[in-house]
Amino acid sequence: MQADQTHTNRLGEWIAGRRGRHLREAVTAYLFLAPALLLIFVFGIFPVGFALYVSLHKWLIIRDDFVGIGNYVDAIDNLAYFGGFLMGIGGLVGGWLLLRRLVDTARSHGQRPWLLAIPGALHAAAALTFIRWLYFQMPEFLDIASKMRGLDRTRELFQQLLSEAFHAETVYPHWQQFRLVLVMAVLAGIVASALWRDPRNASYQAAFANIWLSLVVGIGLLNFTYAAIADVYQQAIESGTDPGIWPQLTMITSGILILVLAWKVWRSAEQQDRPFAFTFRILASLLMMMAGVMLIIEIPAIVAAGDRDLWDGLRTTIFFSLGIVPVQLTIALFLSVLLFQRLKGSDVFRIIYFLPYVTPAVASATVFRVMFAERPTAPINRLIAGLGFEPQLWLRESKGIFAILASTLKIEDYPQNLIPDWFSPELNDLITGWLIGPSQSLLVVIMLSVWSFVGYNVVIYLAGLGNIPSEMTEAAEIDGANRWAVFRYITFPLLSPTTYFLSLIAVMGTFKAFNTIWVLREAQGPAFATTRVISVAIFEEFFVKTRYGYASAMAFVLFAIILTLTVINNRIQGSRVFYG
Amino acid sequence: MAELEATDLQTKSLPRLSSFSFSSSFWWKLFSYTILVLGAIVSLLPFVWMLSTSLMSLGEALGGRWIPSELHFSNYVDAWEGAQFSHFLWNSVKITVITLAGELVCSVLAAYAFARMQFPGRNLIFAFLLSTMMIPGMVTMIPNLLIVTWLGRVGPIPWIDNWPALTIPFMGSVFSIFLLRQFFAQIPEELFDAAKIDGAGHLRMLLQLVLPLSTAPLLVIVVLSFIGAWNALAWPLLVTNSNEWLPIAVGLYNFVDDGGSEVQLIMAGSVITILPILVMYFFTQRQFTESIARSGLKG
Repeated sequence: MQADQTHTNRLGEWIAGRRGRHLREAVTAYLFLAPALLLIFVFGIFPVGFALYVSLHKWLIIRDDFVGIGNYVDAIDNLAYFGGFLMGIGGLVGGWLLLRRLVDTARSHGQRPWLLAIPGALHAAAALTFIRWLYFQMPEFLDIASKMRGLDRTRELFQQLLSEAFHAETVYPHWQQFRLVLVMAVLAGIVASALWRDPRNASYQAAFANIWLSLVVGIGLLNFTYAAIADVYQQAIESGTDPGIWPQLTMITSGILILVLAWKVWRSAEQQDRPFAFTFRILASLLMMMAGVMLIIEIPAIVAAGDRDLWDGLRTTIFFSLGIVPVQLTIALFLSVLLFQRLKGSDVFRIIYFLPYVTPAVASATVFRVMFAERPTAPINRLIAGLGFEPQLWLRESKGIFAILASTLKIEDYPQNLIPDWFSPELNDLITGWLIGPSQSLLVVIMLSVWSFVGYNVVIYLAGLGNIPSEMTEAAEIDGANRWAVFRYITFPLLSPTTYFLSLIAVMGTFKAFNTIWVLREAQGPAFATTRVISVAIFEEFFVKTRYGYASAMAFVLFAIILTLTVINNRIQGSRVFYG
Repeated sequence: MAELEATDLQTKSLPRLSSFSFSSSFWWKLFSYTILVLGAIVSLLPFVWMLSTSLMSLGEALGGRWIPSELHFSNYVDAWEGAQFSHFLWNSVKITVITLAGELVCSVLAAYAFARMQFPGRNLIFAFLLSTMMIPGMVTMIPNLLIVTWLGRVGPIPWIDNWPALTIPFMGSVFSIFLLRQFFAQIPEELFDAAKIDGAGHLRMLLQLVLPLSTAPLLVIVVLSFIGAWNALAWPLLVTNSNEWLPIAVGLYNFVDDGGSEVQLIMAGSVITILPILVMYFFTQRQFTESIARSGLKG
């Protein structure tokens, strides 16, 4: 009896004590986080994995055959294989880098954690077997919904079906295997922690698990891609054609490697003092760049050989980005610098500039659609008529603005073929699309977007201007610098983090733009095809054609492009931003 | 005496020095105002035109007039009745309120944990959440449709064409958590120390100390939710198949597609759609721009 009491006392002390307080705080924190994390996981993170699963299938509303990377090949043709290889190599390189970091940490602490690779491998195996189980379990779980169709939806029925799905013959062995590996992993983890008591033990185990995972996934991807290519070649031999994947892959890979090398040489040239060394390196770098570009010039043709809609969507998106981002940033920068003088009424101006940003996109698109109607009496046409121009078709005009400009300036047969036809007629075809330029219809959408987002940029720029110490500008003014000099040499450089942030947000925004274009679709008629940015193309594929699997693959291509852009942006611009 | 003179001189010369700066010359001021007014005109023109067209007759609206000869307020009645705007507006309000209730509870709790509590993996989880903001909506849209369809089929209430599909997926908002966390982290430590001495636990500190101080960001989340709900187009198109839960954006969109030639009615419908949001923005604009600027810069 007494022993029991002292025991509870000790427990009470322990809970009330310092460690107990930490534990209680952690538990409370996790409880606080639980609802948000659950929702974000179910509707934000899990769907990414699920989308990957969908993209590997033929999937028209309901799941059909597994097609591997077939959807990706449909979308970007042979570049899909390249992507597979790239990610596989990425896994291997990532694993290698992680290993090197682990070795560095271990060395700097004088520790030898190498044996922890064993529990690490088991952790990784547990994760992999879990994913494999989930992969086989997914369809069974998905089928529950169709099995319940027309039946009385009770909790008992659901539980029964859930248990049936769980114990299905094709799935349950995978679950048992996962359970076994999990138990082994946990045991190994506990044993390892008990044998070597060290605060860094857990993080070493996690690092080893990550390394194993990256390596295995990398090798798996390489193997998978190789098998897919071998398959294509097998079929090609039977039909007597040459798919030409390997030469393409080697060309692109070496092209990109040369480009990276050229970038490195360029950077090293910037540090050279002697004129000869400098010039030599710059020349070498330029040569390498040319060679690299020659090697990867096939990429557009390959992508275009895939899905023409995706390729056109990409070009439209790039036009859209180029039309919006610089214009919007420049206007916003000048307006905010003028506003920042705190003239009378600047608050009113700020409120007015921000109005378009809060206006619902559907409503502003509706207003623009009527203002830019093709009638000669429509407001914008009357406005330009007052300036002496012909009425334009605006939203219904699918001609490119450069082509329109050329015909106004009486330039004959624009655009001409830049590249001789014998070299690559496909390439010429692609270049023509760029030379014609964004359609007038897209121009209206660009104007609408600039109109909507300038206010947001002004507000952020104003905050950025507020962070610039006023002593700097004042000192420059006392020294006799004029307004332009102050702006050019002080304000603008000090605003570069803001500009960087805003350009990133804007580019990503243009890649996600959807609402306005979708609303304007009916009003555009045939010109809609020229404003179909990539997210609209994906939505159409999904919503109109109900090709879920293919649309998912396209969405992943978009995701890959956004990620690549961010990384490149970080590398190039990030190093030039001046953080005061 | 000399000292006093010196400070006097300083305070007098300071304004002169700074008045030396940007706003000195008359011409510069005129130039600034010209540009600013030009910007304001471009910003406001579509609104003015929308408002004035919404009061015209059909003939005037198509004839390209800028000012109506007489005010046809009946357009509003026609649009209101013709497109069930009251129904769609009410739907959007219901959707926003339900979403907000869930979103606020989830985000406030999570933001408090990130800002004010110590637990293993805090920075890791937060960084991970932030990185999910990179995922384009098009990637998650298709699986989410499959998920809500599934949930509706196996669960006690249908999700498709009902409020859960339109609200529950938006209750876990990384942006709200981020915005609130930035704000909560800036509340002075002394206030918490005082509360701790009084023996307050985390929940009480959150309810009695943090929340009363955080009306500005909470207000911003409310307004942003309304704006988001008024913008929602793609997702409602997917998960509704009757009028019952259609939000305002889809309502206006269908109205425009059906009555494409009745410009004055379309403009009246647009005014009806925009008005609640603009009113809300005018009342909260200060907190709004401040929070946007703050959250934007620290992202």
